Amino acid sequence: MHERRRVAVTGLGTVSCVGIGIDAFTSAIREGRVGSSEITSFDTTGFPATLACEVRGFEPRDVLERVEPDHWGPSAVFAAAAGRLAVQDGGLDPASLADRRAGTVMGTTCGEAPVIQQLTDQWVADGLKNIDADLVTKVPANRIATAVNHELGLTGPAQTVPSACSASNFALGYAYDLIVSGEADLMVAGGADAVNRSTHAGFLQLGALATDVCRPFDVDRSGILTGEGGVALLLEPYDVAQARGARIYAELLGYGANCDARHMVNPDADSIAACIRLAQASAGVAPEQVDYVCAHGTGTPTNDATEVAAMRQVFPDRLPPISSIKSMIGHTMGAASGFGAAICCKALEEGFLPPTANLRTLDPALGAGVDPVPGVARAATPSVVQNHGFAFGGNNAITMFGRAS
Amino acid sequence: MTAVTATSAPTDLPEVAPLVITATGVVSAAGFGAGPLRDVLAGTSAPHDEPVDPDAAEHPARSVRTVARFDRAALLGRKGTRNLDRLTQLGLLAADQAIAGLPGGLGGARLDRTGVVVGTTAGSIATATDVGRDTIVHEKPYMVNPATFPNTVMNACSGQIAIRHGLLGVNAAVSGGALSWLLAVRYARTALSSGRADRLLVGAVEEVTARTAWAWHLTGLLAPDAPLGEGAAFFVVAPAGGGTPVAELLGCEVGYFGGAGPGLYGGLRRTIAAAVARSGLTAADIDVVVPGATAHTRLARMERRALGTELGVLPPTLDVLPAVGEAYSASGALQLAALLATGGGNRVALLTSVGEDGGAGAMVVRC
Repeated sequence: MHERRRVAVTGLGTVSCVGIGIDAFTSAIREGRVGSSEITSFDTTGFPATLACEVRGFEPRDVLERVEPDHWGPSAVFAAAAGRLAVQDGGLDPASLADRRAGTVMGTTCGEAPVIQQLTDQWVADGLKNIDADLVTKVPANRIATAVNHELGLTGPAQTVPSACSASNFALGYAYDLIVSGEADLMVAGGADAVNRSTHAGFLQLGALATDVCRPFDVDRSGILTGEGGVALLLEPYDVAQARGARIYAELLGYGANCDARHMVNPDADSIAACIRLAQASAGVAPEQVDYVCAHGTGTPTNDATEVAAMRQVFPDRLPPISSIKSMIGHTMGAASGFGAAICCKALEEGFLPPTANLRTLDPALGAGVDPVPGVARAATPSVVQNHGFAFGGNNAITMFGRAS
Repeated sequence: MTAVTATSAPTDLPEVAPLVITATGVVSAAGFGAGPLRDVLAGTSAPHDEPVDPDAAEHPARSVRTVARFDRAALLGRKGTRNLDRLTQLGLLAADQAIAGLPGGLGGARLDRTGVVVGTTAGSIATATDVGRDTIVHEKPYMVNPATFPNTVMNACSGQIAIRHGLLGVNAAVSGGALSWLLAVRYARTALSSGRADRLLVGAVEEVTARTAWAWHLTGLLAPDAPLGEGAAFFVVAPAGGGTPVAELLGCEVGYFGGAGPGLYGGLRRTIAAAVARSGLTAADIDVVVPGATAHTRLARMERRALGTELGVLPPTLDVLPAVGEAYSASGALQLAALLATGGGNRVALLTSVGEDGGAGAMVVRC
């Protein structure tokens, strides 16, 4: 068997509501820019909340070389574009990819929900026998990862991990294990989701949707804004990346994954604390070494309180700074922890802490010592950062990143 | 990961460490458990072939293999089960059965190191479209059922299995179309060999409704007389030494061949060769093949040709289609359940899966 290998992040690709490409995304996050706008992807008539974080001004054909956008669902297109951007960013020769032991793992929550909604509309209006068969072929969620392989010419496994809102961290973790074990030499991992009517309605019905602004850790926080996009990280064995002179953003140090096994929707502090410990053990990191936490930070009253309570179990003396980029890009569902991972890598490379936007009054009920990095990014030199992802179904996954050595 | 170099060797990756299956559970058109499935495969009893979903009268003219209606409260209990969709119920039933087949049940091992891996392509299409319909037929478009909405996530089944049995370990949903089972096995192997779990409940689920039946029917991808199937199969999987084996999972290789590379036929051949090689075996060791694409007009011949070419002489074939139907996400898991139901004898079997979307894969099992 191969020796245990280290994993380098050498490329980042983002299609987000605050910018296409990792540079545009990073500068927007550093500025604390909020990407919400009136929803255009579906008719919001009758909805009391009509804001979401939709990707605007994105022309897939400007990025994609092989995937024909008309033949794939929107999440697959986001994923393929993010994958292409990550490979370009990583400076890999695209022609070399087919010969690699290379594949894709992508997370998602909603899969191709907008396509399912279109089919549902057709069914209700015209009957089942008149639904569009071309739309049917776009439904399978596995096509999200497949689209990345198709775009990049990869012939290894294309695996979608639909583990809801921690799915990107599951994807990154799985890709990490495949590289560490020697099963893969190159992996594209991340996530994709698209704003859709059912998810918007569902979070509204659960009382978890903000009507105007997402304010994680604020005393007046009222919930999420739904978001969308695609994110991909290019992962390689560390020594291979060094040998080819690649820019190494960060090292993926390890990850933890577990399950609450209590409730489908309510988060569980003990279980999250256990997941943090698993992640830190996997990474070989002690709590006092963690310089920053990229929060799940949805901005619902329950999540943020539970997340901070879990943190206190692991960091009893000192909470590291913890911020939520969902305040800017909304809850991008299965892509959320992938965007978190991307900004963690940039934070390690450039030396900053990502901010929490929209914060007016820190919720005193969260207790003392919470530093949410309010407003704009803060200059810092983090060495080890921790990236949270929690999900319906009680699926927790946390990735750990370290500064490139 | 499949080796895709141009060398003559099928793979440059080492042999895999076998995993053991220590218990199985299956729910299919044959009924509950391996016994009824064996009988249907042997032709001594008939599978259930009537639609059971609420839109049963609206199905297209296509035969089905469905799980007969069952008493949810009696089989799963009343507590916390009323709002579960049928896809999740099928998964819970098969998972319950697998756990009941463990000597001593789940005792004797750490539940925080016991996890769940579920293959499902898109979760419950019935639930997703129910919620989608709620957003267009009600005066207030957000009046979706808050008890139903959490079931729309594709990890609903894996989460519910964990809740039911208190399984705190790695919990993952795996979406792979026809390859869902093979991808679930690969995920499980990676999690176990990386030391992230001691034992995993690995399975796959699928449902048949009028909505999915019309969807398949209108694509024209399936042979006209091929029945659509549903069901679930779960297997308790551990590293060797983790219990008394019912079967051993050996090489399991998959790839995407819908774009660059050798094409679907060439890709399937590669995965077959690599799966056999990574099992430490040769083509001559394969006693039985269990093909997965037999319902698919275009793919079935190609799959048979690839098997024949790679194995030289095609060994006896177990065709599960008449018994369980084309069960998409659950097809591979039901292929394995059918293989195990037909008895042991220290056979080596090769299971194949081919997707309309360009995925292909193969798995070797000793049973």
